Amino acid sequence: MSHPCWQCGAFFNALFCDSCRAIQRPPDNYYELFGLPRQLALDEQDLERRFYALSRRLHPDLFTRRSEREKQFSTDATALLNDGYRVLRDPVRRAEYVLKQAGFPIGEQGTRDVPPDLLEEVFELNLALEELKGGDHSVEPTLHQARAHFESLLREIDQELAGAFRDYDATGEREVLARIRAILNRRKYISNLVNEVRVALQRAA
Amino acid sequence: MAYSEKVLDHYNNPRNVGSLDKADPNVGTGMVGAPECGDVMKLQVKVNPETGVIEDAKFKTFGCGSAIASSSLATEMLKGKTVDEALAIKNTELVNELSLPPVKIHCSVLAEDAIKAAIADYKKKQSVATPAAAPTLA
Repeated sequence: MSHPCWQCGAFFNALFCDSCRAIQRPPDNYYELFGLPRQLALDEQDLERRFYALSRRLHPDLFTRRSEREKQFSTDATALLNDGYRVLRDPVRRAEYVLKQAGFPIGEQGTRDVPPDLLEEVFELNLALEELKGGDHSVEPTLHQARAHFESLLREIDQELAGAFRDYDATGEREVLARIRAILNRRKYISNLVNEVRVALQRAA
Repeated sequence: MAYSEKVLDHYNNPRNVGSLDKADPNVGTGMVGAPECGDVMKLQVKVNPETGVIEDAKFKTFGCGSAIASSSLATEMLKGKTVDEALAIKNTELVNELSLPPVKIHCSVLAEDAIKAAIADYKKKQSVATPAAAPTLA
């Protein structure tokens, strides 16, 4: 992607003009900002290296003696860089970001993405949680078991997600994105539960 | 965000909490969930097979006040309605009755989905139970 530099008119294809070196208006897309292809499977070490390298080049302290425009671009770029790093380094948030960019509403999907068996299990777990809150400690072993089960489910889901990431990177198909959204919904559901069980067991201890 | 009086009323005194016998062929069970907020809602109807009228409705919801109020109100509305009338219940009726704010509309959608799921379960059981639907094709 290349745009004409705002200062000298030459074209650049990064955050700085190739010709006069002026900082440019940062792209509003995290992938572009990090100079990465739009891939779901990312090398996290590479991402970290890019983050530190860019932080050093974009830091507002480097622009204190520059024009207002450059100061502004540097501040904007640094803010975007921090947000982008937070999003891209977390596979779940990264996937949510890519889905949103592709026009997929997240979270607006109703019941269809949660398999009935799982709902049943979730319901039973909630019942046990309620009993524990009501002072019935006999459900504690059930809850410990449920927690271990849901945690292993979470690990399975993460593997499934990684597989779907590779599929999407290979094919670029929207169908895969729909699958990813379903996986994310399931994951959120379960991670909320795991947290709830953790908190409840801690309180009961 | 403050809940409306009606939401609080249903939240503090939920109507028809409980469960019906899942194995009863005249009972339809709808289990729905919203991954975004972790809510899970079970709604059951007991239908008189002669008249097609819903005689009893029970629910149990784990979730926010609006989700509990929506399902509580839904069970109240269901009683005395025919199965077809029940299917015509729209989430907007729950929204209006409970004065739900826009951010809580999904709770009413969940309740509508639960009604539909319960009725679908009832119908499925009935079609299996009816001798006419027995597998005669060989």
